[in-house]
Amino acid sequence: MSTYIYAITAGDHPARLDGLEAVGASGSLRTVAGRSQKAVVSDAPPELRAKRRDLVAHQAVLERLLEDGSALPMRFGLVAPDEQAVVAALDENTEGYAQSLEQLHGRVEYNLKATRDQDDLLREIVAESEEVRQLNEATRENPAAQDNKVALGELIAREVEQREGREAGALVDALAPAAVGNVPGAPVDGHFVNVSFLVDRTRAKDFTDVVQAEADRRGAAYELKLNGPLPPYSFV
Amino acid sequence: MTVMQQQSGTAATSGGGGGNLYDVLELILDRGLVIDAFVRVSLVGIEILKIDVRVVVASVDTYLRFAEACNRLDLEAGRKAPSKLTELAGELTENGAKGKSKGALSGAVEAVSDSLSGRDSDSDDERRRSTSSRRTTSRRKEEA
Repeated sequence: MSTYIYAITAGDHPARLDGLEAVGASGSLRTVAGRSQKAVVSDAPPELRAKRRDLVAHQAVLERLLEDGSALPMRFGLVAPDEQAVVAALDENTEGYAQSLEQLHGRVEYNLKATRDQDDLLREIVAESEEVRQLNEATRENPAAQDNKVALGELIAREVEQREGREAGALVDALAPAAVGNVPGAPVDGHFVNVSFLVDRTRAKDFTDVVQAEADRRGAAYELKLNGPLPPYSFV
Repeated sequence: MTVMQQQSGTAATSGGGGGNLYDVLELILDRGLVIDAFVRVSLVGIEILKIDVRVVVASVDTYLRFAEACNRLDLEAGRKAPSKLTELAGELTENGAKGKSKGALSGAVEAVSDSLSGRDSDSDDERRRSTSSRRTTSRRKEEA
């Protein structure tokens, strides 16, 4: 029977799995032990898809494991042919897994996404670029001037990209000292920042305070969304 | 300034899980450990979340939208009183959700929340949750 994998933990992790639902609601959660580590698994449902219920189940298992110690979160949807294959995979890389578990000990992920009101950014660009200002006036007076419009838009697009890049860099630089590490996430829908930070649990309050301070400094045109503590998805 | 901090993994929310699913979707789907020997389920329709911003930005369509947004901009307030820029923007943010969903880079995320819905009501929930921290909180209480 194919086996769905949630996480790899140290052999002595308590792995309290009571009351949690398995992905696909098929069967119960259990652990499979290798020489040094164990994996948290369940029977894989026959037709697994990324439904909301299943994503929630996957995430909930990882969050529970995180409460009691270090756990390496698997990407959603990973299926082994059977339990023996899971054991073999564990034993193939015991030292690597041990090292990762050690590195992540007492650490959690915080994901930060930030947006800036588009009109606020455009207003800044108009105020600071003579060329944009002129083209804007010209196209306002003559809306049919398609070439000018494209030129204006292209100019703005370049300014937006540059300014968002600078702002993202400054924001990450300001937060980085309060974290152990950070990795950029994939660009998401109009956000100028999508970054994950690895943070020591004991310093979590410091980190969130710094995020708050940065948000305060930037004012109302910005929206910072901080999610955490999360399983360290981005650091395995 | 708005910070929407959404905590998870704490005792207060244990059993709930995923109340903030929408904002961490790409972590669950695209990050996390992979063992090469194993199969990964097909996530057709989900990859759309990842967009190549450079490709989206560098199109005539996007240029025209930027130009039109710029033409529509109320510049008077900014020109007369530059120091009030922040405050003015604050008023605009009240309509933030609307404004953003019309932004030059929007579209992909709504498509994702559609394809994600196990049940129809869920997709509505997700969409609202992404723009309202208060709703997230109340929803999470129900789940707890």
